[in-house]
Amino acid sequence: MRRRSFLRSASAATIGGFTVRGLGNPMLAPLFDRSGEDRVLVIVQLYGGNDGLNTVIPLDQYGVLSSVRSNVLIPESAVLDLPGITGTGLHPAMGGMRELWQNGKLSIVQGVGYPNPDFSHFRSTDIWETGADSDQQLASGWVGRYLHQEYPNFPNGYPNATMPDPLSIRIGAPISIGLQHQGVSMGASIYNTQDALNLTGNPFTDPVTADCMGSKLDFVRTVQRQADLYGDVIEAAAVPGCNMSTLYPAGDEPGAELANALKIVAQLICGGLKTRIYWVGIDGFDTHAQQVVSGNTTIGNHADLLRGVSDSIHAFQNDLELLGIDDRVIGMTFSEFGRRIKSNASIGTDHGTSAPLFLFGTHVLPGMLGTNPDIPANTTYDTNLPMQHDFRSVYASVLKDWFCLEPADVDAVMLDTYQTLALVDPSGCMEVGVHEANQRAGTSLLDVYPNPFMDVVNLRFETGGDRAVVQVYGENGQVVRTIHNGPLPAGEHRMQVDLGDLASGAYYCRVQTGMQQQVKAVIKVR
Amino acid sequence: MPITPYTGPFGRPELQHLLRRSLFGCTTADRAHFEGMSLDQVVNELLTFTNDTTPPVRAYTDENGDPNGIDAAVPFGSTWVDTPITPLNDTDVIEVRIRSFAAWWMGLMRGQQRNLREKLTLFWHNHLPTQVSIVYQSEMQYRQNQLLRSGCKGNFKQLIHDVSVEPAMLFYLNGYLNVAAAPDENYARELFELFTLGQGSGYTEADVQAAARVLTGWTFMVENGGTPVLPQTLFFPPNHTASDKQFSAFFNNTVIQGQTGPDAGETELNALLDMILAVPECSRFICRELYRFFVHGEISAEAEAEVIGPLAQLFRENVDAPDQIAIVLRALLTSDHFFSNAIRGCMVKNPVDLVVGDLRLFDFPIPDPGLVEARYLVDLEHYWLTAYAGMNLMAPPNVAGWPAYYLYPSYDELWLDTATYPQRNNSLLAVVYGSVETPSNTVQPGSADLAFRVDIIAFVQQLSDPADPNALITDLVDLLYVNPISDAVKLQLKHFYLLFGQVSDIYWTEAYEAYIADPNTTNMTAQLVPDILRWLIGDMQKAAERHLY
Repeated sequence: MRRRSFLRSASAATIGGFTVRGLGNPMLAPLFDRSGEDRVLVIVQLYGGNDGLNTVIPLDQYGVLSSVRSNVLIPESAVLDLPGITGTGLHPAMGGMRELWQNGKLSIVQGVGYPNPDFSHFRSTDIWETGADSDQQLASGWVGRYLHQEYPNFPNGYPNATMPDPLSIRIGAPISIGLQHQGVSMGASIYNTQDALNLTGNPFTDPVTADCMGSKLDFVRTVQRQADLYGDVIEAAAVPGCNMSTLYPAGDEPGAELANALKIVAQLICGGLKTRIYWVGIDGFDTHAQQVVSGNTTIGNHADLLRGVSDSIHAFQNDLELLGIDDRVIGMTFSEFGRRIKSNASIGTDHGTSAPLFLFGTHVLPGMLGTNPDIPANTTYDTNLPMQHDFRSVYASVLKDWFCLEPADVDAVMLDTYQTLALVDPSGCMEVGVHEANQRAGTSLLDVYPNPFMDVVNLRFETGGDRAVVQVYGENGQVVRTIHNGPLPAGEHRMQVDLGDLASGAYYCRVQTGMQQQVKAVIKVR
Repeated sequence: MPITPYTGPFGRPELQHLLRRSLFGCTTADRAHFEGMSLDQVVNELLTFTNDTTPPVRAYTDENGDPNGIDAAVPFGSTWVDTPITPLNDTDVIEVRIRSFAAWWMGLMRGQQRNLREKLTLFWHNHLPTQVSIVYQSEMQYRQNQLLRSGCKGNFKQLIHDVSVEPAMLFYLNGYLNVAAAPDENYARELFELFTLGQGSGYTEADVQAAARVLTGWTFMVENGGTPVLPQTLFFPPNHTASDKQFSAFFNNTVIQGQTGPDAGETELNALLDMILAVPECSRFICRELYRFFVHGEISAEAEAEVIGPLAQLFRENVDAPDQIAIVLRALLTSDHFFSNAIRGCMVKNPVDLVVGDLRLFDFPIPDPGLVEARYLVDLEHYWLTAYAGMNLMAPPNVAGWPAYYLYPSYDELWLDTATYPQRNNSLLAVVYGSVETPSNTVQPGSADLAFRVDIIAFVQQLSDPADPNALITDLVDLLYVNPISDAVKLQLKHFYLLFGQVSDIYWTEAYEAYIADPNTTNMTAQLVPDILRWLIGDMQKAAERHLY
């Protein structure tokens, strides 16, 4: 398969055949380990639904805004300007992001959402994480599908020499559906943001008690830690020297927790992990009440949240630049929805629809995409902002121009064709074979060909003599065909399956034998 | 000095501790059944049972699904345990019957009554083990297992007597080869070392040889005139050593009078066991075995003095009682020590406890009893799951049983290492996420194409108030862990799983109530509820705390 890969991987990935990570000095790693293929996307999730109108502020709409949300509206004089454009500004707490803007490291995408918006946190988060239509339920996350496409054999035979590190890392929370593929976690979780070395990977971080059950728990945790496939590589990469910025919020400052998570991300990238996706978050954006301090709308809960996000991301970018790894990293924020145009009597805002999101990094295309929302003069409580950009267009653009996927592969991950946007400098993608190595990494229990197929698809798989279940699933996880369910002699098996009666689209072929299972995605075309 | 009885409060934590150690896991229904009873009442009920099992039936087919392709002498759906295998060495039939037995045993554990029968049967299987790889005879395995089950809380001497001359043990430890002309010490040695006294307790090599001579002449029959018959114990007097057997000072210089005739074996076996049981070390040894299985791996000097000593005395005082084991176990399970912080939550679950406990806790659905074929398939899958988790029933590593119950100083920690941990973890996830499916080509039409999976909604509906995310997390933590879980961690669980990162409880309550009101709701938020619960509980299964009880 012909693939585009990264320009920078043309430079030497190794020095004299030795990988740089073995040299022992953590500070050498950022200088030499420019293997190029290790591009990173950092996803910053703003839980709760961020008030976009008070984040990227449409100065040309002040007439109507002051009539429908005067109790939360930022005074025009306090709004931070965005040099180079007029009519749009940032919340006064977002000095850090304004500096990124000035340095050409920030992209603002206006009005990001999806058709038929859902006002439920759960459902809308699910939609954003899976990339589903609003009337569709998907069994995999968009990042999970991307990682599955890039590393199709995962988790069989992982870690391996090609990919010794976690495919993705969630910091500060469990792996949610965004990083899952058909029930398989496509990443590792580092739960405790205070201590990068505490890699329990689950929320159970209570210190052990000083009694017998405590000492036994300590024993189990030790084994758990030793058995963690990725514990050692993460621990080896999480070197304290890999943080050089002094700008991170700390202690009681707003955003300190997000900053801690981003510090760990910088450490791990600098420490040499080949992990492509990091996912961090900050909660509290569900500002139904007391969004601002009564009488002074520039301070309060939302201001603290935005300051936390802005300062943390600014410090993170600063760190990446000081470490010399900013060429490898871009970041993206998202929130499950924006908030209502009209504020409520509790000095807050209720659930809304589309909102701006940010991309940041040295290789994002700086500027603002889209326009200020046009707010109707007769806005009522039920009026919402229209969508300008489908969130899946943002994902598709990142996949195409940052991870260098071919358009057909972008479609296979996104399960449809979405307009791509000028968000990331695409010149970094060229034809090199890193992708092929990823495709071969791990153990293939199951081969499915041709892919795409029209009517008949061939399955080749091996069993150890146990009972085997061979099934085809729809994208929603429903079983559309059970090809075999019962004992099979040990050895290689080939089966030809006629799926001519199925609609075109993405399907999963799944083989389960003994305690192993593997899923391969196939696309049916006409 | 008798053992100190427990007199402290007997609330939910104490009840759960008692039930987790006495049953396979502790379900909400188990808890509800016993709540309100006193400790003595609970333990009395746990010790009140009979062996009322019905034998395993033929629900298997050959590899191609043909019911007449294998073991056709037994009608489909009827039990095979009374039908000798013909020819004797038809390993295909032996194999399917052993699987049937394994599935049956698993079904008894997973569907256990609320008493100690199945836990004690497992205890004795570990204490008086045979290995399927050596015995490999389905009727023998079944009969020995039933012997352990029927005698599990009875008289120790009677149980050892019966096991000693059961065909499975006569075959496993060469008793059938132990004849006057060429004594085989294998069983006599293990009888002393592993089953009754313990290594180093003081018996001599000469004692082992003398005991072997006592046991000469026992054998078993599996065919009669060339026709296979059910395994049957025989005593063959010409093979018995008729001379007197002299024992050492450890046994008070006992002489077992040599006997002849058809009752010689029985008479001398009884004399041998009486002699063993008269040694105080025997009572201490068996009480330590019970302690390591039910209480704690390592026996402290304090426990030796305050628990083992008094229990051993009770054991000796009731040496002829038909419910001797029950008497001792009752004292142990109602003791102050059993409820002390020194042992609560301080044991790594054995893999059967881990898996069967979870199948019970989450009420893994099983086929209707009439669907014997589907039932067999589901039970066998669960049997393999316990094997995968690290404890292959019928296949202990050797005659000493599983090292977790004897190997100083690690004991129960031997269940867990970097190889078994992922498998144990996967097993816990398999219970919550996995399904067991039956094939299309079953013999019983009703057994075909069925899928069984934990009903996660039904599970949380047993809890106090699943619509309240705080109550839900608290109840789950209470059910799943012994170790204390901080409010901060509970809050994290609520926040990330039930609230999807939000802070307001109402979001969970609304979604949950909408789903309960209409499980087929078109409300897509409510549709997420089962997935959220499986995700939460699946991740809760990954906690280190989950491995302790």
